[in-house]
Amino acid sequence: MAKEPTSATIRTYHVGFGDCFLISFEYSRKSERHVLVDFGSTGFPKGVPKSRMMDIAKNIKQRTGGKLHAVVATHRHRDHISGFATEKAGKGTGDVIKSLKPDLIVQPWTEDPKLGPEATGPSGSNAKIKKFGAGTSQQIAALSLMHEVADQSLAARNLPKDLKHEVGFLGESNIANPSAVKNLMKMAKNSYVYCGSKSGLEKVLPGVKVEVLGPPTLRQTDTIKKQRLRDPDEFWHFQVGATALAAGGDKKRTILFPRYVESRSYSHRINARWLVHHARTVRGEQLLQIVRTLDQEMNNTSVILLFQVGKKKLLFPGDAQNENWQYALGQKRYQSVLTGVNLYKVGHHGSLNATPKSLWKLFKNKSERKTAKRLLSLMSTMEGKHGSVYSHTEVPRAKLVRELHRKSDLFTTQQLKGKDFFHDTVVKF
Amino acid sequence: MRNIRGTRHSLANSRTLTAIAQDPSVKFRGQVLTTELTVPAEELLAGPCGYRVNVIDYDASTDTLYKPMIYGRSLDGKYEDPFAFKQSGRSSVKARRLHHQRRLEDPRFHAQNVYAIVMRTLAQFEFALGRRCAWGFDGHQIHIVPHAFADANAFYSRDDRAIFFGYFMGSNGKLVFTCLSHDVVAHETTHALLDGLRKRYMERSTPDQAAFHEGFADVVAVLSMFSLPDVVDAGLDLASGGRSNLISSKLLERDVLKRSVLFGLAEQMGRELAVVRGDALRRSVSLLPGKPYMSTLLYPEFGEPHRRGELLVAAVLNAALDIWLARLAKIGPVTAGKKDRSIVRDEGARVAGHLLTMAIRALDYCPPTDLTFSDYLSALLTIDREVVPGDYQYGYRKWLLKNFNDYGIRQAGETDVDGTWKRCDQELIYSRSHYDSMLHEPQEVFRFIWENRNALKIDTDSYIEVDSVRPSVRVGPDGFVLHETVAEYIQILTLQANELKKRLGIIPPKGIDPTRRIRIFGGGALIFDEYGQLKYQIANRIENTKHQQARLDYLGESGFFDEPPPPTSPPGPQSQLAQLHRMRLMG
Repeated sequence: MAKEPTSATIRTYHVGFGDCFLISFEYSRKSERHVLVDFGSTGFPKGVPKSRMMDIAKNIKQRTGGKLHAVVATHRHRDHISGFATEKAGKGTGDVIKSLKPDLIVQPWTEDPKLGPEATGPSGSNAKIKKFGAGTSQQIAALSLMHEVADQSLAARNLPKDLKHEVGFLGESNIANPSAVKNLMKMAKNSYVYCGSKSGLEKVLPGVKVEVLGPPTLRQTDTIKKQRLRDPDEFWHFQVGATALAAGGDKKRTILFPRYVESRSYSHRINARWLVHHARTVRGEQLLQIVRTLDQEMNNTSVILLFQVGKKKLLFPGDAQNENWQYALGQKRYQSVLTGVNLYKVGHHGSLNATPKSLWKLFKNKSERKTAKRLLSLMSTMEGKHGSVYSHTEVPRAKLVRELHRKSDLFTTQQLKGKDFFHDTVVKF
Repeated sequence: MRNIRGTRHSLANSRTLTAIAQDPSVKFRGQVLTTELTVPAEELLAGPCGYRVNVIDYDASTDTLYKPMIYGRSLDGKYEDPFAFKQSGRSSVKARRLHHQRRLEDPRFHAQNVYAIVMRTLAQFEFALGRRCAWGFDGHQIHIVPHAFADANAFYSRDDRAIFFGYFMGSNGKLVFTCLSHDVVAHETTHALLDGLRKRYMERSTPDQAAFHEGFADVVAVLSMFSLPDVVDAGLDLASGGRSNLISSKLLERDVLKRSVLFGLAEQMGRELAVVRGDALRRSVSLLPGKPYMSTLLYPEFGEPHRRGELLVAAVLNAALDIWLARLAKIGPVTAGKKDRSIVRDEGARVAGHLLTMAIRALDYCPPTDLTFSDYLSALLTIDREVVPGDYQYGYRKWLLKNFNDYGIRQAGETDVDGTWKRCDQELIYSRSHYDSMLHEPQEVFRFIWENRNALKIDTDSYIEVDSVRPSVRVGPDGFVLHETVAEYIQILTLQANELKKRLGIIPPKGIDPTRRIRIFGGGALIFDEYGQLKYQIANRIENTKHQQARLDYLGESGFFDEPPPPTSPPGPQSQLAQLHRMRLMG
């Protein structure tokens, strides 16, 4: 096999709201090495056949010739890992991926089972925890508590319509996906990465330099000004305690004082109705704020990878948002590395704060003119699922999409119509 | 003239209601520590719903409305406290415990608890300011929702005209009700009242302003708890470990009192509630004095609003301790080395009450925009000097100044040597405004400001508005009534980022869109004396380059300009009217 690949083909799959990219590095004599970056979805547009995820899994099998070299699961959101879920009968999409026998699974350091509170013993005794910073095991515990909160938020009743939709969407993205998580853990050797660590991908991708730009460890986060929760596990523990009271369907929900109930559901006395309406809305907004916060926390555990062959660079940041990016963007070394990016996988389906302005400014290949060197950008997204135009939080954000169109060759999965469910982009080295 | 009860006597103007003194986790002699709060008397509707507070026990998480608390009318002129423990003959300890337990499990007691604490806090504000105080929204009655939702949270919401209290499952598997925590209720009520007095303090501005709402609400909550003799008593119990009527002078040392009364009680307060209330009392008491905490360069953690607010709490509580000791020094022993415990207790509660009144009064002497802790300290000292010109007896001002300085808070720049605001010595035109109207009419005060805009150094490019004109009445030490009128004006200058340098000499935050519109605030409090003459102009000027630069730098650092500007509001009544007019024109 040649020392360096000559080109890479990036296959962008249409997974509705989610991410799935297959990067195939081509070496001489037609030998290829394949890396799958994420495989998940939280919803398809109307008319997409139910078999879409399986069709994609089969296409990956076909395209790779039955052998995957590596899988990158950027973070544990459903829209990034649901495709890795297996079924008892062995007929799940995750079973197909498993059969491709990848050599390596790359995940963020927060997924390392050795960091869980049960596995570590007293905090600080573990060398890894010391390396990652104080509060590491609490942070890991907090992430699993967030799944519980998300799960319970789905059971929330009595929410105003518009809020119900968004709480439901975010709740679903954040519920635990044990089957996919287990599959990723057992499928192959795991590499748990953080900003500045080795990815382990160099061994399976000869001639490709891979830099890990995120997520930062807590120690790294502490070096930037950003405040973080002092006791994240305690905070989320109480949120679990709170939402659990209101979750689990009508019968299980806790009526605090059964002997003192005056009225339930829409028959409240007239002089209480104004307040009842406001309280319902406020509670919905609170719940939304909570699931939004945990959604962002999960996004910020995203692995950010920069593949480099010669002078060509491909950037895959998962769903990393500002807080994740902040550490790498504060380092001069990474700033200079990022200036030459040739292909950018648009972060978090095109949300505004996943493409920090300071990052976008660094890209020197962006141009209003269609040149050969012009920046390529790939976006996997679906309108109308996430955020709202009124609050400037819609995904994809219109302002960002305009900018991407203006200054790069943008491909978005929304361009795929009918039976087409993937698009190839070739980068020559 | 006969009143509603058919007698010629005045109706009772206060009543007592049993409420929780701290939170249910604080036990005193084996029982949850409760107290009788004195609140304004009124004929309450079911809820209770009164002239300022409307308690509605609705739980949005389960869509359940609980039965309201209903108070019976008392015909003999006395109001009943339905949850007070009624001693009947030889009531056993068991009976008392059962009564306490039943009370905690009754949502109507929860409703009474919030009603009583909110009304007491309101009464404390009105007493201190000598006038009626509005909430921070249009309307007179605030909604209080004691079990609003399952969430480890409690907050005031201006838009919803309400304070919502959440409940959640504690780590021991027991329910935690935020509405039963005295300091949480007082804290949230203070937010609502402060918002009514100074609505611009909610704007994003300096680190101090962000911290002030929290710090001040904590100061009021903590002082209003310590102004209850029952609470001080519980603290003294921790110090002495006994119930004797006398207390050893050795226990009345600064460190011992700090450890027992302040820190000891903080330690007892529910750990779980720290998620809701923060940990201001415990943390501020443990802060060592003498360090430059206010410098965000040296102490970046104190740039965070809640931590910064703790500095205010630390300064006030330590001053309270010093004043308490100064007062105790004047009380002689009953027997060798021992003092009367009830006097010690009452003096402690009295100091907390005095400082609470001062802390609230000081708001009138604060600039209405971009507040700093230094402004607040100078306001605190000035208001006290106005009411008690001589500081010789217990040295309140001396101790306040010392303790604020100890936590890095210096008096404001334009002040006298004692840290008080300088008096206004400008030649002003009074002849074009009318004294009587100036006491209550914003239009008249605006005219006064307009006539005197040069003397008052007011930038006329900015939008100027008189936010409020409020009379204030206080009783001075000579027993005479001191009348003042407090008027607030605000100024807003909107500039594009690229105009800041030229117009105000300010360097815009790095990387900002040069056409982004930025609002610069200014404004002042005008204090008129009883002759209608301007005593003080306590102002933040738009042209104060240093101050405005610091504000913009802070906003830039805290990510304010990374967010898109707030969305334009959806079509409101104005645009509906415009549409209606257009239709008329189109025939």
